Amino acid sequence: MTERWFPDEMPMPAANAETVGWWEAAADHRLVVQRCTECGRTRHPPGPVCPRCRSSSSEWSELPGTGMVYTYTVVHQAFIPSLQDRVPYVVIAVELDGAEGARIVSNLVDAAPGEVRVGMPVEVAWEDMGPELAVPRFRPSTVAARERP
Amino acid sequence: MAGTVSGAGRAPCLVGVGETRYAKWGGITGTSEYRLAVEAILAAIADAGMTPDDVDGLASFAEDRNDATFVAADLGLPELRYASLSWLPGGGGACAAVANAAMAVESGAAEAVVVYRSLCQGQFRRFGQGPGNMPAHVGPPRVPHVRRATSLLEAHVAFTMPFGMFSPPIAYAMVLQRHMHRFGTTVEQMGQVAVTTRAHASRNPRAVMGTRPMTMDDYLASRMVSEPFRLFDCCLENDGACAVVVTTAERAADTAKGPVALLGSAQGALQGFGHGQYSNVGMPDDDYSSSGARGVAARLWSRAGVGPGDVDVAQIYDHFTGLVLLSLEDFGFCGRGEGGPYAASGALAWPDGALPTNTHGGSLSEAYIHGLNHVVEGVRQLRGESTCQVEGAETCLVTSAAGVPTSALVLGLR
Repeated sequence: MTERWFPDEMPMPAANAETVGWWEAAADHRLVVQRCTECGRTRHPPGPVCPRCRSSSSEWSELPGTGMVYTYTVVHQAFIPSLQDRVPYVVIAVELDGAEGARIVSNLVDAAPGEVRVGMPVEVAWEDMGPELAVPRFRPSTVAARERP
Repeated sequence: MAGTVSGAGRAPCLVGVGETRYAKWGGITGTSEYRLAVEAILAAIADAGMTPDDVDGLASFAEDRNDATFVAADLGLPELRYASLSWLPGGGGACAAVANAAMAVESGAAEAVVVYRSLCQGQFRRFGQGPGNMPAHVGPPRVPHVRRATSLLEAHVAFTMPFGMFSPPIAYAMVLQRHMHRFGTTVEQMGQVAVTTRAHASRNPRAVMGTRPMTMDDYLASRMVSEPFRLFDCCLENDGACAVVVTTAERAADTAKGPVALLGSAQGALQGFGHGQYSNVGMPDDDYSSSGARGVAARLWSRAGVGPGDVDVAQIYDHFTGLVLLSLEDFGFCGRGEGGPYAASGALAWPDGALPTNTHGGSLSEAYIHGLNHVVEGVRQLRGESTCQVEGAETCLVTSAAGVPTSALVLGLR
């Protein structure tokens, strides 16, 4: 098991036919984005057809796991009781490298909440929430900006 | 009750408004949410000088638990000829439900349609209170792998809930953070919305927070929920119901208080918007850091034949102070990124501001009835019945929720 940042009581994801592949990749600690194999457009959350060319063929394109903070909030209220000892925590939207602007919601971990900034480079840090269930958190990047893809 | 389409005679008008008592969430326990809906509907019908025998349509929006078919049966409507539920989620659909009712009477599908909303968050779940679509895991054994989603929404919020984005204040705090980053919007500018709206509520006996004055210092001292939103940036959560009667101009001529005309309406969402920033953080930057109502606003002004400069008073959906600023921008009362300075100038204050806004106290201070109470207040303004009456008001903008697929109305006097 990986390091843990959030409690067991966090809501667990549910998936449908369109999204289950994303979560299966996550269980293997692979950060992916759905990419249209006809026109190459990325989309997230995953969907049944490409919103640009309407092709139904797509693939899971593996990403380097780096990106930057697009926006964020520092959450002070414990909306579930087991977060009482965990607040404040940081929710971020990450613009993912290699995904043509696709963004995902995640958390900034291994940093003081006051350190978060728009534009901050970050890298993925996996958290196993169960034997076959992992969610991607992000920590401040250890890779210099010029080396990022 | 003829069902023929005949031009101006069928132009849609709002002729009755009604509401129950509004209370803090959990404040109404002896009366069901459904009974409140029925009481509000009867009050609106009576306000119009009509009876349920005159009503043949019902309309509501998003996730309404109080089915129109049961309402029709329990009220003894002679015949239900029109019933609709707008797909627009949450508070985005209040104006759309009115617009749908208007289209029904204009087309001849119905003669008189009542739009209603009842919310008893004490009897059901509170929207702002954490994971609703996704129950938290309770104790071992651990879920070994991802569960099967039972709705499209559940599969979507799987990409937000496990990261602690549990509720609207967290999602929309991120929108405001982006707006602050791009345009320099400040917390004091958001606070001006909260303080101004509370001052309006202080004159309104229906307002849940009417006896609780608020200064800017009070605002700044309120506890942080999700930066930059403090408690007083967030709307109330309430128990209560309200309703609005829509009929034709011809029928409206002999109602008790006369007609308020629907000059125009629009509804919808930008390309790729989904459920708005609540489910989609990947939309274009200009859309993400906005109310999402740009398209609705353009179509609204075009259809109503008026512009922002013609508006005497506005009821802007206010689930969060900051999103009022974004709506003011997208409906054209100020430039992009200028919502903060516009609010700080005092523009929203009754009676002297350039655009007295949320003259009932809004969702921040009157009650959170998913914005249908904003339509009620719009009607009262044009009848001269508001507790913060804008002198000679002839044109009122009403908007539904920013940040989700939304809708808006222009009310007027013909």
